[in-house]
Parts: sequence; C-alpha cells; structure tokens
Amino acid sequence: MTQDSFQHTLERFGWNTRNQALALIVPGLLIALVFAGLYLSQVASFATTNRQIEELIAERDRLERQNEQLRGEIAALETMPRLLSHAEGLGFRPATATDIEYYVIDGYNPNRSRTVVPPDANDNFQQAAVYDETFSGWLQQQWDSLQQQFANFGG
Amino acid sequence: MATTTTRTGLTQTDIINRRLPLVILFLVVMASFLLVRVSQYQWLPPEVEREFQLRSAQNTNSVRRLPAERGVIYDRDGQPLAVNTIQYEIGVSPNLILSDRRREVAANLGLILGLDEFALYQQIDLQEQSWVLVARPVTADLGQQIADLDMLGVVINPLSKRFYPQGTLAAPLIGFVIEAENNTRGAIGVEGSYNAQLAGRVLEQEVSNVPFQLPTDADGSQRGMDVVLTIDRDVQFWVEFELTKAVQETNATGGSIIVMNPRNGDILGMASYPGFDANNIAGIEDPKLLQNPAISGVYEPGSVMKVLTMAGALNSGTITPQWTYNDQGVLNVGGIAVQNWDRSAYGIVDATTALAKSLNIGMATIALEMGQERFYTALRDFGVGQRTGVDLPGEESGILKVPGDPDWSESNLATNSFGQGVSLTPLQMITAVSAIANDGLMMQPRVVLQIVDGENVVNAQPSAIRRVITAETAEIVTQMMIRAVTEEGGGVPLAQIPGYVIAGKTGTAEIPSPTGYEFGTSIASFIGFFPADDPQVIILIKLDRPAGYWGSQVAAPIFKRMAERLVLLLGIPTDDVRQALTAAGGIVTER
Repeated sequence: MTQDSFQHTLERFGWNTRNQALALIVPGLLIALVFAGLYLSQVASFATTNRQIEELIAERDRLERQNEQLRGEIAALETMPRLLSHAEGLGFRPATATDIEYYVIDGYNPNRSRTVVPPDANDNFQQAAVYDETFSGWLQQQWDSLQQQFANFGG
Repeated sequence: MATTTTRTGLTQTDIINRRLPLVILFLVVMASFLLVRVSQYQWLPPEVEREFQLRSAQNTNSVRRLPAERGVIYDRDGQPLAVNTIQYEIGVSPNLILSDRRREVAANLGLILGLDEFALYQQIDLQEQSWVLVARPVTADLGQQIADLDMLGVVINPLSKRFYPQGTLAAPLIGFVIEAENNTRGAIGVEGSYNAQLAGRVLEQEVSNVPFQLPTDADGSQRGMDVVLTIDRDVQFWVEFELTKAVQETNATGGSIIVMNPRNGDILGMASYPGFDANNIAGIEDPKLLQNPAISGVYEPGSVMKVLTMAGALNSGTITPQWTYNDQGVLNVGGIAVQNWDRSAYGIVDATTALAKSLNIGMATIALEMGQERFYTALRDFGVGQRTGVDLPGEESGILKVPGDPDWSESNLATNSFGQGVSLTPLQMITAVSAIANDGLMMQPRVVLQIVDGENVVNAQPSAIRRVITAETAEIVTQMMIRAVTEEGGGVPLAQIPGYVIAGKTGTAEIPSPTGYEFGTSIASFIGFFPADDPQVIILIKLDRPAGYWGSQVAAPIFKRMAERLVLLLGIPTDDVRQALTAAGGIVTER
C-alpha cells in the first residue's frame, strides 16, 4: 500500500531527468548557502572580535601611558620644596634631634627569621577547563552573532 | 529520435562510447597530476616554504616600529626621579576629510593648538597628501582635548617624553636623555651608564592587515628595566639645599657635597654647584654645567690628605701613635721650605697632635720616614690616582705623580703628604677616608641599588675594593680624627653636634695656577663620619674659593648642619642613647 502510494506520487510528480537534477542542485545550493553563511558569519565574528581586541590593546596602552603621566604628576606634586612649604603653611616646623625619643622594645629583633605560613595545599589546585559546548549551543551562538552583525550593520 | 551513421557504419553514440573512456582517462590523469602537484605544495623544502610565506606576508603584512618605553629611575625609597610622560604628535590626513568639514577641522585644531586657522586650512585643503604634520610635540592636555573631539582624518600619535619630576634634584647624577636615531639614549649620569638596561628594545614588528587574524600585541619584555638608586631623595634635597646656601653665604664659585654610607659604599646624596635642570637641557648655555664635578672635578685636597698619610704610616709600621718629632717651624725638602699653616714651630709633637693640629711639617717628616715606596704604595692603596669605578660615566682618575715620572721631584714626597701637588676628585677622597670609617676595608662607591626587570629584581651587592689598612690602624686613625675635631684650642668646634662624637678633618688647599698658586683663594673642605664608634654616614664638604678661606670656618659649619639633618633623616640616635640601647639588647625605634 505504502509502496504503491509512493510510486503514485513519483508518477504524479513527473520524476524525469530535469526534476532529478533540480532535486540534487537545489538542496546542494541550499547547503552551500548555509555553509557560506556560516563561513561569513564566522569570519565576520573573528573580524569583530579582533577589532575589539585591537581596541582593548589601544585602551590598555592609553591607560598605561596615563598611569605614567599621573605617576610623574604625583611625583612633581610631592617634591621636597612643595612638601616643605605646605608643611610650613600648616604650622609645622623642622624637627631637631631633641624632638626624637628612642625606646627599647624588649625582645624585638627586626632581623629575626620570618615566619611564613605554609601554602595551603588547595592553593595549588588548578581547576580543569570544562568543555560544555553543545552543537545546538554553537548553532545558537552563530545565529546570535549573525543577528548582532545585521543589527550593527542596520544601526 | 534519429541516429546518423558514419562511413564506418558506427553511430555517433558508438563513437562517443568508444571515445569516452579516453576522455575520462585524460581527465583522471590531469586531475591526478593536479592532485600530486597540490599535495607536493604541502611538503615543500623549508627554504622554498619560507620564500612562499615571505611572499604571502608581503601582500598582507606591514612592519610597525614599536618604540620601547624607557625604565623608571627611583630613589632608594621608591620616589620616582625619572619617569615617562606623554606628548602627542598631531597630523591630518587631508584625503580623509570631506571638503565641507575642512574649515571646521582647521578651526578646532587652530583653537586648541593656538595655531593660525587659515594656515591650517591651507594645509588641509590644498595639499592632497595622505598625511600632514600639524604640531609636534603637543602636551598631554591638548592632545586629549583633540582626541575628545573625535575628528575623522585627524591623526594623534603618542610620543614618550622623559620627565624628571624632582626638577633640578640630582640632575648631574641622574643625567638626561637625547633623541637618537631609533630610540632615546641616556647622555650622562645613570641615564648614560645604565642606558642598556633603561632603554629597552625597539621592535620592528610585522603586523597582519588581514582582519580575521589575531592582532599582534607588543612584546612586554621590550620595556626598559627600572633602576633603583642608592640615593635618598630627602638626603639629596638637603645636600643641595645646604650646598646652595653655603655657596651663596660664602660667595664661593662652586662646591660639592657627598654623603655616603662607608659600610657598603652607597652614595646617599651627591651634589655639585651649580647644577642644571634636566627638563630644560636646551636652555643650558654652558656645556660645562653638564659635568658632575663630584666625580670629574679634580682638586688638591690639602690637609684632608694628612689622614691618608697618617694611616699609611701607622699601617706600614713606620710610626706608632707615640711617635714624636721636633717641629722647628721649617723643613727643607728637595729645595723647598715646608712650613706649618700658621708658620709656627711646635717643638716636640706626637703623631696624634700632628694630625689634630694639622701640621704640615709633621706630615712631611712622616712621609720622609716612610720613604718613597711605602708612601706612594699607601696612597695607591687608598685609590689616589685611580678611578673608584663608581657606576657613573665621566669619572676622572686624579693626578698622582710618582718617582720615575718626569715631573716628579723629591719635594713632592713632602708636599703630597699634606695634600699639595696631588689631585683627587671629591668621590676619590670620600672613598679613601671611608676605608678608615669601615675598619680598613675600602668599599666600591655605587649609585645603583637594584635593577627591576618586571618580576625579577636584581640586587646590586656591595663590593669591597680592597683592604687598605688593618682594623687596628683604622681605629687608631679614627681616634686621631676625633681628636682633630675636639682638640682643645685647635679642634673644629663648628663641626661638632651635641650628643654625637664626630671623627673628621679639615682641609684648606691653595689653588694651583699656571704661575704657581692663586693668591688669597682656597678650596675649603671638611670630611667627617659619625657615630665615630660605629660609622653610619660620612660627609665630604668642599667649597671652591669661599670668602672665609679656611675649611674649619666655612666647610665645618655646613658639615654640622648636614649632620644635624642626617641624624633625623637616617634615624641615628645620640651616642649615649644608642650605646644604652645596644647594651640593653634592644633595637632603636623612632617615635
């Protein structure tokens, strides 16, 4: 019964050579389009990520330069003449030897051997990378990425 | 469907069927050949592969020059002495700026940079170039203002600039940098001597233009190493403060002060007058100002030299502290008449008194008793006439004429013993006397404490040059130097500070000129260390042509002021407190 209906369908469809070729070409084209889309999506995703990395590197370099700049500015603000004039403005006066009192701290030896807490065995534990990617997840990721790019393009 | 028949009786289908295997065979062979060739490209000889990669890279890669960030210079407490700041180079790419935006770009840049708007517009509008320089260097503030406008076609390139936040502080010691062909280069001071460590490596890095290839990041190891100096910023400030004050008060033409730890050779402060501002090298008119006279300026030390003569004589066994001579006021040696500084005769004098009263005849007598070989060997042992090897460029070795030299005469043996006819740098002098403070062991003076390369810290270990005298001799000479400061009627009361025993010696040297010695001028100096029983610091004061003439009058008070500041800065308690605390087994702490 099933075989008959299948045969009947084929006969009705006119399963000639042209249709057979179309049946091969169309899915082939579709598959090619899907792969091309995936490839383009992947490449665009890489390009976007790399651009972001480049921007992060530039931002890091800018922050490092700014740090250096600030370090210099702080040092210039902490020069001895500035500190002295500021201290004098606040009413301080230069100390003399008589202003200092010295004390003996019994049993204190600054050169004693330091007691170091032994490292916890758990500190050395390195968490193994967990592979939790699924095909559906990957597909979703590609789709999201593609959507994001279209959204970016439109915006 | 009709079929045609050939003369051989074969139909077209037959012919096709007969030829088809040949065509297929041909295609298969060709495809196989191509496959073989393609597969051959997968396993190329290394040199061919490299060549292909190079050709490929030429199409997609460009070379970017990454200048190295210069290392920072710190004082021993981590205060930055030389850092890098940002400046900018502003350029425009005219072909990226739309014609209707050019006037606006010119107006904005002109306003921020203080440049003529019309001239800028001409640059942007008329020159169809890919890039035009607008201004260089531009301060960080202005550069940031321009960056904030986010104008298309305006190119902002950061430039690293060396900045010395402490201004003139320790400028000859730190040095400065100059723009070299590929990178900045240290010129003098630590910047010069440690240029290899500070400069870092300039990289020529290949950068791919392919957008989906991972961007190349700068190699972190190219940055220069940081250098930590033995200099204490606060000590250095007071050294320069007191030196400037002294020069102004005494109308001296120049001077030097060095503060050193005799135990390890660490130079805590070193200054010469006049100095310069390393942030404004272009403004320096006299290139002599760029020298560091503390290590390159030689002078006749005068009576400070007597300490070395005495130490050498005691150490060689020529004399003992109980040794005496008859001071008759004049001693003729090699055709010259040696006299004491006050032209007096002192009669029977022992060795300690000869040093305490700074008697030229006493020292000349000792030198004559030592003889040429012992005397000059002793001076050489103290490093006279040799560079100390301090880690700074431009050090001079001084002048020591020895027997056999064409310009040496017998009178030199006598005059050298009290510091005439022999020249040293201030650093040589303080290094030599440091050996006495350090129980006879002469330490290598140094200005660099650590070199920091990322996480790696390399500590420069103190190193001894040699043992010059025995510890016993050092102790005897120290006691004599204490007496030279505290001697009733002949000591140096202006160098004394309450609560501390100082070991020291004055020096008042005439200044040689082509026609003999300058009249009425001197180099006044004082060298001293304390606490005398456990020296922690040694100070050399030297003033050129001061109005007061005598070392005991003009150099000693500066030593006192410096010492009073140093006991606070370095936390050195008074002798009685320190000895009581040590006896109690405690450690000194400050409140």
